[in-house]
Amino acid sequence: MNYYKVAGHTFGVKLPDGDPLCSQLAQYEPFISPAVPDPIFVLSLADSLDDEGGELVYSGEPQSGEPIVRLFSTPGGWISEMAICPGRPLSAKLFMEKDFSAGKLLLLRPREALFSLNNALMLLYAFRTSGMHTLEMHASVIVNSGRAFLWLATSGTGKSTHSSLWLKNVPGSKLLNDDNPIVRVMEDGHVEVFGSPWSGKTPCYKNEHYPAGAFTRIRRADHNAIARLNNFEAYAMIYSSSSGFKFDPKMGDDLHSTFEKVVGASPCFVLDCLPDADAARVSSGTLLKLYE
Amino acid sequence: MKTKKGFKMRTLLGEHIIVAEGKEQVNFNKMISLNETAAYLWEAVDKRDSFTVEDLRDLLLAEYEVEEDIAAKDAKAIAERWKEIGIAED
Repeated sequence: MNYYKVAGHTFGVKLPDGDPLCSQLAQYEPFISPAVPDPIFVLSLADSLDDEGGELVYSGEPQSGEPIVRLFSTPGGWISEMAICPGRPLSAKLFMEKDFSAGKLLLLRPREALFSLNNALMLLYAFRTSGMHTLEMHASVIVNSGRAFLWLATSGTGKSTHSSLWLKNVPGSKLLNDDNPIVRVMEDGHVEVFGSPWSGKTPCYKNEHYPAGAFTRIRRADHNAIARLNNFEAYAMIYSSSSGFKFDPKMGDDLHSTFEKVVGASPCFVLDCLPDADAARVSSGTLLKLYE
Repeated sequence: MKTKKGFKMRTLLGEHIIVAEGKEQVNFNKMISLNETAAYLWEAVDKRDSFTVEDLRDLLLAEYEVEEDIAAKDAKAIAERWKEIGIAED
């Protein structure tokens, strides 16, 4: 079994010897960990799932582009169906224990095996760590002056574009992750941002972490301007950019507790912007000044 | 009328908010901020199978020093507002 430590949480992946997936795991290499006795979960491959059916608790929107097509609550746990996007043939089915401590992945399309494995691990990770003050976020992250600056928005709005504008125009910038960083509220209450093995289309898998500098929502506009969000607006931004299904009452409570701590501890902004160098000048002018 | 399933009132750093957390509301993408009075009313009626505008009025009268006709007017307005934003229904 392989062990990987992401944002301080170690999980296990058990693949059969010689499985084609074994040679496709480069993005996980920076996160390889020694074996631990108590991984947060273990994912293995299955030839069949015996716990089928159950109550439908989530159904993805056809236009969403989300890889989770449907989620069922079954007597023994959960089953998630995944596809490249809703409407496409299913890539895999994932069975998860009730407490997300183990998962079994049934691959249905061999060519989409890595896609399925990535999604299965992200799903288990987000669900299992929701009670550990940990958020799997949809964001692009720039590190500058030793702090992590996150750009949040729905896909296609310009998170990655804004990161690349910082890389070109703001000296001392580097990319930490381009799609799915992990955000944790640490014991002392400060918020730490971690790279992960999941980064969307950009291969940026850094096992590094930095204290959060700011969370900034990106909004397309015909001008560049940045404004601070109040707690209510900041909560809405963090809420809508975090993975996890709030309909499970415990997960809902746990996520709320983490959202509230993140909002209470982090400066949050909204950036109206064009995809130009001036946008990076405007955002960096305000955000870097917070820590001068 | 009744509150719709899938909404949950929470406290965010001292403010009251309503968020969509239930599976009935996975496609509800708004968040609602409640003032102290609305939060008190929501908490009281969310537990009930159904309630009327008169129930809201009586709750206001029980908690606040307010004239009955003003309480009735406020109760009606808040019930309309909840229906309008989609967190309560007839």
